[in-house]
Amino acid sequence: MKTTFARLLRYGLAYRRLLVEALLLLALATGGTVLGPYLIKVFIDSHLTPGNWAWPAIGLLLGIYLVAQLVSAAAFFKQAIRFNRIALDVVQRIREQVFSRVMRLPVSFFDHTPTGSLISRITNDTEAIKDLYVNVISVVIQNSIRMTGILIAMAFLDVKLMLVCLALIPVVIGVTWLYQHISTPVFQRVRTLLSDINARLNEGIQGMGVIQLMNQQSRFAAAFRETSTDHYKAKIRNVLIDGFMLRALVDLLYMMVLAALLFSFGWDALSPSGAIQIGVMYAFLNYLGQLTEPIIDMISRMNMFQQALVSADRVFKLMDEEIEAAPEHPEAPRDASVEFDIDAFSYDGKTSVLTDVKLSIAPGDFVGIVGHTGSGKSTLISLLMGFYPIQLGTVTIGGVPLSRIDAAERTRRVGLVQQDPFLFSGTIADNIRLELNISDAEVEAAARQAQLHDAIMRMPQGYQTLLTERGGNLSAGQRQLLSLARTLARKPDILILDEATANIDSHTEALIQRSLMLLRGQVTLIAIAHRLSTVMQADQLVVLHQGHIQQQGTHRELMRVEGLYRHMYELQQQKDPVQLGEKPAPATE
Amino acid sequence: MSVFWKLRWFFRQQWRRYLVAVIALVIVGFAVLVPPWITGRVVDAIAQETLTMRALLGYVGIVLGIAVVSYAMRVIWRVALFGASYELANQLRQQIYSHLTRQPSSFFQQHGTGDLMARSTNDIQAVEMTAGEAVLALFDGALTGLLVLTVLVTLISWELTLIALIPWPIVGYFMWRFGQELHESFRLAQARFSDLNDKVQESLAGVRLIRAFGREAVEDDQFNAIAREANEANQRVARTDSKYDPAISLAVGMSFLLSIGGGAWFIVQGVMTLGQLTSFTLYLGFMIWPMFAVGWMLNLVERGQAAYNRIEELLHTEPTIADNGQMQDAVEPSLSIRVERYQHASDAEPAIKDLSIEVPAGSLLGIVGPTGAGKTTLLDLLVRLQEGTAADIRLGGVPLQDFTLHNLRHHLAVVPQTPFLFSASIADNIAMGAMASSQEAIEQVARIAEIHDDILRFPQGYQTLVGERGVTLSGGQKQRLAIARALLLDAPVLILDDALSAVDVRTEQSILTHLREARASRTTLIACHRLTAIETADQIVVLQQGEIIERGTHAELLAQPGWYRRTYDYQQLEQAVEDGR
Repeated sequence: MKTTFARLLRYGLAYRRLLVEALLLLALATGGTVLGPYLIKVFIDSHLTPGNWAWPAIGLLLGIYLVAQLVSAAAFFKQAIRFNRIALDVVQRIREQVFSRVMRLPVSFFDHTPTGSLISRITNDTEAIKDLYVNVISVVIQNSIRMTGILIAMAFLDVKLMLVCLALIPVVIGVTWLYQHISTPVFQRVRTLLSDINARLNEGIQGMGVIQLMNQQSRFAAAFRETSTDHYKAKIRNVLIDGFMLRALVDLLYMMVLAALLFSFGWDALSPSGAIQIGVMYAFLNYLGQLTEPIIDMISRMNMFQQALVSADRVFKLMDEEIEAAPEHPEAPRDASVEFDIDAFSYDGKTSVLTDVKLSIAPGDFVGIVGHTGSGKSTLISLLMGFYPIQLGTVTIGGVPLSRIDAAERTRRVGLVQQDPFLFSGTIADNIRLELNISDAEVEAAARQAQLHDAIMRMPQGYQTLLTERGGNLSAGQRQLLSLARTLARKPDILILDEATANIDSHTEALIQRSLMLLRGQVTLIAIAHRLSTVMQADQLVVLHQGHIQQQGTHRELMRVEGLYRHMYELQQQKDPVQLGEKPAPATE
Repeated sequence: MSVFWKLRWFFRQQWRRYLVAVIALVIVGFAVLVPPWITGRVVDAIAQETLTMRALLGYVGIVLGIAVVSYAMRVIWRVALFGASYELANQLRQQIYSHLTRQPSSFFQQHGTGDLMARSTNDIQAVEMTAGEAVLALFDGALTGLLVLTVLVTLISWELTLIALIPWPIVGYFMWRFGQELHESFRLAQARFSDLNDKVQESLAGVRLIRAFGREAVEDDQFNAIAREANEANQRVARTDSKYDPAISLAVGMSFLLSIGGGAWFIVQGVMTLGQLTSFTLYLGFMIWPMFAVGWMLNLVERGQAAYNRIEELLHTEPTIADNGQMQDAVEPSLSIRVERYQHASDAEPAIKDLSIEVPAGSLLGIVGPTGAGKTTLLDLLVRLQEGTAADIRLGGVPLQDFTLHNLRHHLAVVPQTPFLFSASIADNIAMGAMASSQEAIEQVARIAEIHDDILRFPQGYQTLVGERGVTLSGGQKQRLAIARALLLDAPVLILDDALSAVDVRTEQSILTHLREARASRTTLIACHRLTAIETADQIVVLQQGEIIERGTHAELLAQPGWYRRTYDYQQLEQAVEDGR
């Protein structure tokens, strides 16, 4: 936790100029506020009590007072702006850093980390860090300077009495430490119980059908009551601790110091040598009131501080995740050939997803990869895209192993048309172009190549049609064609087509097939197909089953023998009677 | 404000706590007025040189006494008042939960988990704040304001009070304006924050695309732009927020100046003493809190009001399926199902029509048909998760509505389509409906459901935690666990709603064999997609668009051309492909 805090502070130190400005302004502001009671003291002691009505002097006092108040208010405002600037800029930087890190983490990382928790790291946890800077660090600095200023002013008036007030500080620090010690476990218990409550609620809501069918309502309600009541009891303990130690205690201390001050004023007045100035008393009592406010302010923010540290810790952990190293001596692939030589591949190190897959694809070849769900087709493509490191075996592009090809070079050469194309909100042209700097003519050419041009031209705004969220105004087939156009616009040497589902309409299928035929020979084409008809004309068909190549050959060759391919083909000639219901079946994979 | 009226039941119920809090607050309110007054007396005594040691000790003693009393009272009101508000949250939470236990499944579909969670967490918190902080701000703010004003006006000087309070209305106006500004910029900042969330969500969803296209840097730029906008929006909030403190300190400073100036004039006139002036300025500091309290309370009440309305709406939703039956006895497990017509909504196509099935006690009924044919709807009607007027369903000859819901469910054990596991051990999950079961009984049903060996492979065996915080089970394992759970109920009627879809054919067959042995003389209903699961059924019905289109035994149905025959052939071929043949 200590290192987390230090690391957090280092971010703030990068803004040295702003920080210095803010501190100077804060000192100025404090000076202004502290001056007020002192000026009133001068007025009381030099003018009011002796009845000395020297108007120019009084006018000067009044002028200084007004100027001090105004300058102080302005300076206070300006320093707050600066502290906020620093805090918010720090948060922005942390956000940028953690996001950029996450974008570069290995794909396998996303397989075992829920998206929800990642989002929460990048947004909510960084928001908590903002609270640390805005509401804790800057407040502590402000209040410390304020207290120092007040103590200095007190020392000017009377050193001995200042020391009486100073006694407050160690006591408060002690109390704060004690409070931290006592309240932290209780506070954490409250939080744990709250998340238990939420978990139980969530479970209850989602599993209520089961609970009711099993007649377990009363048992679950009782368990919930228990957790909720435990939470209530923990909160009561919390409020007891808060009640005894926070505001009430500071007020108690304030009154005790007040009593001490009154006593010492009286003692001085009663002692033979004593001549107490009334103005000094007035100023002191005023300062004392101002001294307790910052203390209360700081103590009440302790919980926020802890919360922020926990959040920061989580963010930093994510920021420190290892990313893949770039190859030391990158080589450029010599041509558009692809070769798989995989002995075994596994996601979790236990069950093999691919075994003994040897496949070489010549430049310009059209290869279809088919197989039942779970046969390893998509895994094969993920390996070619470099999403996962290969433990046993190699994948080479143009004679160079993937690990020695620069990531940018690979993305330029290999184009992937995804199963579930991701569409950004924007126009169709934007979605084809993405960040690429290409002319409208090139965008159109890519769309024509993907057989999407006509469909686009039929839309009222053509290429400028805005896509609604996730492309809701395009059909599934059009979305896939758009993904194809987007990839083609990048002119890849190797094109990988990951066919969405078996449920594409025959019109789209025909369009895709026409596009593929047009590309044939120009690029190396690797198509994963659920619909066998889309890849019937491939130079080579690879039939995968449970992670290995079961059959290989052209459509004609494979149809000649009784085997998996032929059965798959026959199966697809029929339609599943179970899925022929009135309502569309939910997509199951 | 009406939220206070709506919460009157709670104030009445917890009147002791609120009374204690109010008394303590009143005592504190009066007690804190004493030290400034004492201070004034001391100052006057010193100025007029009339102070004696005895009087001084007396004064100091009073301040110390007040300090102790107000400390105790402060602790008391805090615990009493906030304790009461926590109690309200606790009660509301339990009310909502037990209310949820009475709602049918349609209710949960209609409301959605997110909405229900929001009402039982955020909304409850807002109401809790209303019953605690808002009551404090309302009562203590008004009390302090009134007391201090009274003291200032009656004990010191009403003229000086008027003079000193000149800056306050002006500040009040600015506070109100800042509040408006803050509200607007805060809304903007919230909007930018959700943009940020959306962007992260989008980028994470598309991470593979980003990787494939090498778009990392572009994503960075886009994210950074949004983060910058969020930053700017927050800066705007900060700019307004930063005006509060200076404005208040300026007002306090001016107010002090005016009171010193006016006070000096009154002292010179001889109508006021220095000590009184000192007390006056000390009292003036007390006026800051009431000024704040008003705005704070209005804000809290506004939120609490909306939140409480949502909670009330939830609590007033009557369950659509009434539990009015009286029948508490056991009956023989025969079913007679006659549904003339059932539709989900009055204007919808009928989900089931002209359906009539007799299931003798101890027999096995298979229900098949294409997706959306009405299989699940039919089973829901059997367990009264849904209900229709033109449906006459009898269990052991007694209409379902005549059973108490508790008794009806006692007769039925259901394995739903999507098994739901609770965050608990595997043993507890199996024993969900029969917590008193012995370990042997649990293991026995686990064996029947072919899950026993899987369980033993987990690190802690039957004590392994599952659910959100435990191990992740495969779909097939979840289904088998759900079957074991239903078997342990040993109910007269067992209903499997497509509960074997994620289990491979071989396991499915051995589970069914075990079931037949274990459930002789019990009635079983199996709805499924894979026909292999019902090959041994005494009776099979094929549903299509809510109507029975074929019925008979497996052999009979295979002998005639139709949906059943076609599906059987298709699934044989499918099985061959799945096996890699």
